[in-house]
Amino acid sequence: MCGIAGVIYKDKKAHPVGEALTSMLESLQHRGPDSAGYAIYGSLNFPDNYYQLNVEVKRKRGALDNLKSLLNQFSPIFEEQLIKSVGDSDVYKCKITLDEYSLLKPCIREIDELENVRVINGSHSFEMIKDTGKVKDIAERFDVQNRMGTHGIGHTRFATESGVDRYHAHPYQSYIIPDITVVHNGQITNYWKIRDPLERKGHTFESFNDTECIVHYMADKLNQGYKLEEALDQAVIDLDGPFSILVGTPNGIGIAKDKLGLRPGVMVETDDIFAIASEEMALHDVTDSNQIEQIYPGETRAYTIR
Amino acid sequence: MKEYVIDAKEMAEKELNRSIKEQSSSHDKLIIENPESKHNICAGLSEDVDIEINGSAGYFVGTMVNGPKIHINGNAGWFAGDNMTKGELIIEGTAGDGAGQGIYGGTVIVKGNTGSRTGEIMKGGTIIIGGNSGFMTGLLMMGGKLIILGDVTDDVGESIMRGSIFVLGDVKSLGKNATMDQITSEDQKELKEVLTKYGFELSDEDYTNFKKIVNIQ
Repeated sequence: MCGIAGVIYKDKKAHPVGEALTSMLESLQHRGPDSAGYAIYGSLNFPDNYYQLNVEVKRKRGALDNLKSLLNQFSPIFEEQLIKSVGDSDVYKCKITLDEYSLLKPCIREIDELENVRVINGSHSFEMIKDTGKVKDIAERFDVQNRMGTHGIGHTRFATESGVDRYHAHPYQSYIIPDITVVHNGQITNYWKIRDPLERKGHTFESFNDTECIVHYMADKLNQGYKLEEALDQAVIDLDGPFSILVGTPNGIGIAKDKLGLRPGVMVETDDIFAIASEEMALHDVTDSNQIEQIYPGETRAYTIR
Repeated sequence: MKEYVIDAKEMAEKELNRSIKEQSSSHDKLIIENPESKHNICAGLSEDVDIEINGSAGYFVGTMVNGPKIHINGNAGWFAGDNMTKGELIIEGTAGDGAGQGIYGGTVIVKGNTGSRTGEIMKGGTIIIGGNSGFMTGLLMMGGKLIILGDVTDDVGESIMRGSIFVLGDVKSLGKNATMDQITSEDQKELKEVLTKYGFELSDEDYTNFKKIVNIQ
């Protein structure tokens, strides 16, 4: 199954997006019990060239020290925090500065070569929070309720392929363009047909997860100059299998539903918000409106604020 | 008339359905407040009781019911009225995919729009959609009447075997094994009877404009 949810506030001002998405994801908890995640946009307000890194660090002697000393070769470390988590690792969060965006991915790749650490993500304009466990526990662990932002997407995961761990929780991110994320309910059945041309272009894949493939696909399209709506329309043509894809960018959110409409998706739009979810119950967490719209097979819907 | 109000706010699905079942035998009408789009509401209910749901229901509302009259003052999720054998399910708002899926008897009414595959594998009974219906409406239909007052999109009646689909609005395309048939005065009379009963007011001219879709003989 999996549950997807997204909300964007039309006034472009900061709203309690963390609280809104947490309510929505708790309503969708039954669709995905094993992990959950958020991408909350407009929450960091970093100056240019500053980035937040989220790194999974195993509780092994020296792991955190090695990470910090490598990080110091790239940048001074600002505002660091170690968040206690489940399993054999914790999440280390910090702020760094790089000369330009193109250095972010190489920095992440170098950190990933260290033993006992793995980068969850690096971002400039949004905060990625994802972990294994129930929504309520993750929200408390990462203080999600207090995260303000302009918009965001979220996910509850019922794994049908690849492992259940923090990295494989959604959202997935691509570094082809800055700060694009995807959450997804479904399976992509022509995975290799989508992945091959992206790899031939030089884009690197970290896993065999189909959601990673989608986020690279979407990022590649946006990088070519497609608008979010156009990229979503093209995804409906190019991707096979049952899916509801929810994309987050610094400018907005959008959904694409497969040609046969085999995965759910409903939405609501009012004067104040545009919201999308797998089921209606999650929409009522952010609006009193009863004007629920079905997203039809092959349909795409998006809202951008910039 | 003996009425009973159930506040579903803090109830889990099973708890709610257990309460509905228990109260149905000793009351004429149950009013369910704060349904919060919970799934499977009234599943398997076989008492002749009136149920009013004030708010939206989730997936499979009224699935496998045999007898009750359920009225939803809100929307419904996927597969509303699935496999109903007897009774009535009236949805004032919209419904998701597969409304009236596989019904054997009874009546499912959605006043607004529905998603895809409305009335798929229905074997009997009547489904009325006040608005538009999506992709593959009447998929694998085996009997009964499916009435759409709005438009339908692609592949209406895909692989239909028996039964009739009546559409007042536009039909984008027909599915495999589906064909347009001539509407008869008997059809019009039956449509008028059932639509008037449920408060749909159409002009006499409207009844002549229905398109009838059946299987290729």
